[in-house]
Amino acid sequence: MTGPVGIAIEGVSKRFGAVQALVDIDIHVKAGEFLALIGPSGCGKTTLLKCVSGLVAADGGRIVVGSRTVTGPGGREASLVFQDFALLPWATARENAEFGLLLRGAPAAERTAAARQALAKVGLAGSFEDAYPSQLSGGMQQRVGLARALAVNPQVLLMDEPFASIDEQTRRILQDDLLRLWSDERKTVVLVTHSMEEAIYLSDRVVVLSPRPGRVHRALDVPLPRPREALDVRASAEFARLVDELWQILKKMQ
Amino acid sequence: MTPLLTPEPAFDRAGLAALAGLLIVWEILGRLQLTIFIPSASSVAAAWWELLNNGTLLRSAGSSLFSLAKGFIPAAVLGVALGLAMGRFPTLREVLDGWINALMSAPLSALVPVLIALFGVRDTVVAATVFLFAFFVIVVNTMTGVRGTERSLVDMARSYGAGETALFARIYLPANTFLIPELYAVIVSVLVVALLCASVVQACERALVRWK
Ligand SMILES: Nc1ncnc2c1ncn2[C@@H]1O[C@H](COP(=O)(O)OP(=O)(O)O)[C@@H](O)[C@H]1O
Ligand SMILES: [Mg+2]
Repeated sequence: MTGPVGIAIEGVSKRFGAVQALVDIDIHVKAGEFLALIGPSGCGKTTLLKCVSGLVAADGGRIVVGSRTVTGPGGREASLVFQDFALLPWATARENAEFGLLLRGAPAAERTAAARQALAKVGLAGSFEDAYPSQLSGGMQQRVGLARALAVNPQVLLMDEPFASIDEQTRRILQDDLLRLWSDERKTVVLVTHSMEEAIYLSDRVVVLSPRPGRVHRALDVPLPRPREALDVRASAEFARLVDELWQILKKMQ
Repeated sequence: MTPLLTPEPAFDRAGLAALAGLLIVWEILGRLQLTIFIPSASSVAAAWWELLNNGTLLRSAGSSLFSLAKGFIPAAVLGVALGLAMGRFPTLREVLDGWINALMSAPLSALVPVLIALFGVRDTVVAATVFLFAFFVIVVNTMTGVRGTERSLVDMARSYGAGETALFARIYLPANTFLIPELYAVIVSVLVVALLCASVVQACERALVRWK
């Protein structure tokens, strides 16, 4: 597929009955950028990702992914990665990884080849293919979730707290693997997180959302050198300073 | 990167103890010879063994299985279809929910002896009985399952372009058939009850026609 694409979120609002979830959100994600979205629980992060993926229709404003204005779900530019992995419990890892292609009507041979390749990219080649989700640890399940997202070869990954329910040790490994994938594949990533360390460690820019109603509160650039997974960036003074700066922003927002 | 294979659930000792207790009580009641309608557990077992050896049990189990299937398969097909539709479409649910509940809680078991008295223990009566028992359970279970289907599975499928048909075929249907333990529970219980009934009836018969 062609190179990465940008995302334009312009004046997006969303109301659920009495709850104003999002107000006038403006975010421009550059092609190939790694953007983190952070904010307290209930501030509309998931809703915003669902708007970008077309699962939730915004009340106002518009969203353009690449050159396509989002009008509903099913766009081929972006794949979602879910906090609870959203794996089919009755299907094997390979069948799960194939699922996006299956829904898009790809022939069986092509599906299997793409799923195998995607599983290999996330470190799940060979015997894991035939394992069911219940036989896999949380970290491995999210690898399958990521493989499914990659198998359709999207230009954008929309990740909703993908590592939130995974233990710290495994999470760090997954974060490094994601950084490696991101630099190999040159995709645009929007990653929702509630972890300040994760936002700073992974992203080029952190957008802070304020709660009730969800608005863009501030954006913070993260000029840490890359490849961070190889440079031991977590141990640097600059990393600690940026995490603290983000913390000060979040603290003052309360 | 170690795969964590989940262990199978431990052997259910409590359930086994309860079963053993039941068998003992049954045996004692049978030995007391209060009535010929309660043959002792051991005589049932003996009858079972004999019928198994001379092939009668297999033959009648085969034919009961067949009439079970004649009731169960349509109940499963129609029940799953109606349950899926009711789970998915609120209007249909509102219209039919009351009816389904009323019919499900109606004393169907009271109807069975009437049917048998009218038509005898015929194939069709057995099939109709099984259908009536299974159908409503399957409708309600499927409907509940559809409504409780993981939101994120549905979102996931829709994000890859699944329309209503694909959602039914790829998410709601597999999520609510292959994985409904209740469905298997119904099948297994119906089978066990049917086989038990068959052997109790046989044992009673033997008790009644001792001179043979
Ligand atoms: N489908 C929905 N119906 C009604 N309210 C919703 C729905 N989805 C989200 N909300 C509400 O919108 C707000 C933002 O939710 P969400 O986007 O899930 O926040 P976050 O992901 O930041 O925790 C919350 O108050 C939530 O209760
Ligand atoms: Mg959320």
